[in-house]
Amino acid sequence: MWFYIKLACRNIFRNKRRTIIASTAMGIGLASLIFVDGLMIGMKESMIRSATGSFLGEAQIHLKGYRQSREVEETIHQKMKVINELEQEQTVENFASRALSYAMITSAANVRSVQMVGVQPQKEKFVSKIDEAIQEGTFFQEDNPRSILIGKELAEILEVELGDRVVLTVSQAKSGDLSQEMFRVSGIFSFNAQEMDKGMIFIKLDKAQEMMNLDGGIHEIAVHFKNIQLSLQPDLSFWQKYSRWGNEAVSWTEILPQMMAVWDLTYLSRLVMSVIIAAVVVFGIINTLFMSLYERLFEFGVLRAVGTRSGGIRKLMVFEAGALGIISAGIGIILGLALIGIFAYTGIDYRGIEFAGSTIQELIYPVLKVYQFIYYPLGVVAFVSMVGLYPAITASRMSITKAMRRSL
Amino acid sequence: MKKGVCLAIAFFFAAGLGMLWAQEKKIDAREIVEKIDELYRSDSSKALMEMEIVTPHWQRTLKMRVWSEGMDKTFIRILEPKKERGMGTLRMENEMWNYLPKTNKVIKIPPSMMMSSYMGSDFTNNDLVREYTFTEDYDFNLTQVDNPEPDLIYVKCVPHEGLPIVWGHIILAVRSEDYLPVWQKYYDEKGELVREMFFKDIKLFEDRWIPSVMELIPFTKEGHRTLIRYIEVKFDLQIDSSIFTLRNLRSGI
Amino acid sequence: MLMLKMAFRNIFRHKRRTVLTGLSMFGGFVLAAIFIGWADGTYNGIIDSFTRNNLGHIQIHAENYLDRPSLYKTIDDLDKVKSALTGLNHVDDWAPRVYSSGLASFQSKSSGVQITGIDPVRENKTTRFHKKIIKGQDFSQKPDHEVLLGKGLAKVLNAEIGDEVVFISQAADGSVANDLYKVKGLIDMGDEASNRTAFFLHIQDAQELLVLGERIHEVAVTVDDLDRVRNINQTLEKRLHKTGLDPAPWQEFARSFYVAMKADMQGMWIMLVIIILVVAIGVLNTVLMSVLERRREYGVLKAVGTKSHQIIRLVLTEVNILAFFSVILGIGVGLVVNMILSQHGISLSQPITWGGMEIQTMKAEINLRSFIIPTITIFLSATLVSFFPAVKAARTEPAEIMRMY
Repeated sequence: MWFYIKLACRNIFRNKRRTIIASTAMGIGLASLIFVDGLMIGMKESMIRSATGSFLGEAQIHLKGYRQSREVEETIHQKMKVINELEQEQTVENFASRALSYAMITSAANVRSVQMVGVQPQKEKFVSKIDEAIQEGTFFQEDNPRSILIGKELAEILEVELGDRVVLTVSQAKSGDLSQEMFRVSGIFSFNAQEMDKGMIFIKLDKAQEMMNLDGGIHEIAVHFKNIQLSLQPDLSFWQKYSRWGNEAVSWTEILPQMMAVWDLTYLSRLVMSVIIAAVVVFGIINTLFMSLYERLFEFGVLRAVGTRSGGIRKLMVFEAGALGIISAGIGIILGLALIGIFAYTGIDYRGIEFAGSTIQELIYPVLKVYQFIYYPLGVVAFVSMVGLYPAITASRMSITKAMRRSL
Repeated sequence: MKKGVCLAIAFFFAAGLGMLWAQEKKIDAREIVEKIDELYRSDSSKALMEMEIVTPHWQRTLKMRVWSEGMDKTFIRILEPKKERGMGTLRMENEMWNYLPKTNKVIKIPPSMMMSSYMGSDFTNNDLVREYTFTEDYDFNLTQVDNPEPDLIYVKCVPHEGLPIVWGHIILAVRSEDYLPVWQKYYDEKGELVREMFFKDIKLFEDRWIPSVMELIPFTKEGHRTLIRYIEVKFDLQIDSSIFTLRNLRSGI
Repeated sequence: MLMLKMAFRNIFRHKRRTVLTGLSMFGGFVLAAIFIGWADGTYNGIIDSFTRNNLGHIQIHAENYLDRPSLYKTIDDLDKVKSALTGLNHVDDWAPRVYSSGLASFQSKSSGVQITGIDPVRENKTTRFHKKIIKGQDFSQKPDHEVLLGKGLAKVLNAEIGDEVVFISQAADGSVANDLYKVKGLIDMGDEASNRTAFFLHIQDAQELLVLGERIHEVAVTVDDLDRVRNINQTLEKRLHKTGLDPAPWQEFARSFYVAMKADMQGMWIMLVIIILVVAIGVLNTVLMSVLERRREYGVLKAVGTKSHQIIRLVLTEVNILAFFSVILGIGVGLVVNMILSQHGISLSQPITWGGMEIQTMKAEINLRSFIIPTITIFLSATLVSFFPAVKAARTEPAEIMRMY
């Protein structure tokens, strides 16, 4: 046994050029498989991050029915208990409370209907990307309770700039009375998403609560998980746990079903594409292997002529195939690491693209996962060895003279 | 905008107490401003007026009857044109309702509609609801303008910080003889002229001299203007409390 | 001629090598062709569903309506649009729409809404509007003051089928537009925001309400072949020149969707590049080996007087003949597979539904580039890779070569 293995290795290294060509070809195939795998994962994560990272958060908690009705009175029940539990929650990285309402914003030049969001700057920073979207001014860095952040498009429509005054009108909880207050534009943001740049404004949470007469109530808690893929698991205990006391915890997939719909649709097509890529790689491997074995039929013929038995020939070829496979796997792993490494660092640039109410603010980073570097290479080695059987059997059965005819 | 409407509201609610006093020659900005504020205050009023609205797409003239009591209650009944006859608006403190005779329904105006225009004019629903006074809510000073007219006095009013007023400042031009307003110019904080209100056709209503015509011209919208003309005004009369009810709103009279 | 004969004979002499090399070309070709056909087919399928379902493939408006929509920017003469559409091949259907916004009220609740006035018969044919109805019924044929509410809106207003809802807004002549409408059904537009403001009326009711007469804001057009959208749009532009009307393809009015699709397709392009690379390498590998292994033969040829450039040509000819036949075969098989995939496609176990649209099957597409790209890949990689060893073989001294082998 050992003898054949040693012989196989020596054969491999004897003809360096042939070995390098064959194993490089197969290695590239392997690297492609690894890369595409990482790419798919990266695309999925990127999609989630785009949908949820700008503002939504991966999960949201509201009072049941609030999402449909948007009534100002419908604040989250047992707010303090919920917040305390969230602070302790293992799977949660960050969360932020918000108060929301339709409002009218007036400037000297114009009036618009907008969605007003009262936020806690320190907590909001870690859940949404408002602070990164600020183009002019700051994200509530000053102490002024009358600070307001508006979108770039809205600023244009209202003809206001940093420091200008605007008036917000909202209706109060319970009484329905109107609340009107003056604010000064302290920041202008752009998410590159029309809905947000034209239709959303941000003020401090306590000011919003005051205006709406909420008595400390909040309408929404946005949650950022440690692992964003959790948001895609319908049986996560999180959903049930935070749907108590009349509240409702949902994943972004329910809030933005159109995003999920598009993903599901393209999923099938991507699946088939991956299968095709795999087929191409497999095909390439078979071809390469056959080529490198068959063209050495002469050698094997000689071996048989000097007395090697069929079984020995078979073992030899299979081991050679296996050795080639291992070298290919090595090359493939290095290449795969390099490719994913480079792109995971620089990312693939889709930035600035808006869809379904969210903007792709992310680069797509292929994701490096350990299993990629175990399963795929192992698979390749095993496969290559198996495939090597076919020429092995042919060679062991062929008549010696035929084999030694120096041609394929 | 708020302030300008304030003046409009004043006309809705009818004029203030007594006549304007054109006594002292010493010009005191406070006096002028107080008088402007007072001009539009009364305990109650009933008026018949016309509103002419001009836009690039259409032109209309509405005729309406307006009752008011104090600062909180207003009732408007549209008399003309025919399509809108019988429509009514009731304002009680911060709430507003509209009555639509065609469908015989009363609808409450939600906050989202408060800032939209009243009947398509350049005034908003909100203008009927809020009121700020120059005296209490602004800082005022006599001022000079480019190309001043000899018989006019100019006052510059700047709103107090923190009040929900969008204007940067407002310039009032009043007649030096009786302090009646001639025009008002509204500027944003950058100093751009955003709208202008003109007061014309001074008439005697009961015992007061009041400009019977107010014209509002916005500069941000091309081809728009709204003109309000007072045909009759009565002040400080007894108004039946049943006027300011939803029942009355529905009655269509 | 001699070259060709020799090339052919060489090919058939080394059957296994020929088969392997040819297989790498053929297999690579077929897989690449299927990939492109599938990718194009499914993406177009998705785009078609999304746009056909609601927006239409092409929309015609008055000039500038898309930038700043306004009640007053109307299409005054529908006949102009109709005549522009007649006789246009590949146009499926069209539907007129009227848009406005205002306040809807039911009992004590009121909410801001977006009105869409539709022609029920045309709309159902063009965008399958009736599929969005989740409760109640579609409009009656004749306008009857009926309204279909978004399901979120119905909830906000607390209104049910059969209830009468008031609508108030401003008409095009400045007067107050107001009327009562009976709730005939509830619809699901697919996203929460639209569901909270959707207020569909019969187009004639809407025109009457808003005092628009015969005017409308939009004509949505559907076509039978997504690839022709741009062409048809151009034709429409020419026909509607100087009428003040502006046709726009979905890439413009559904810009965000278009851009997102493009982004996703870029992901596909990356995968295509990978496939091409792997195919090319496969071809590279086999061709390289076969050329290198036969250097002795070429040495002999040189020894008997064949000139260097002839040897190069021989190699290239062989490779190209092989490529040629592989590609022909590949086209044959590729066409068959793509045809099957485009007729039957692959079915999802559960249909994906969203906003009245239902997708069960994904299909491939037969198009030119799914065959052109692989062809170029095969020929290019085969020729390129055989060039250098051919040159090397041609240059080496025959004696040296023969000694090596």
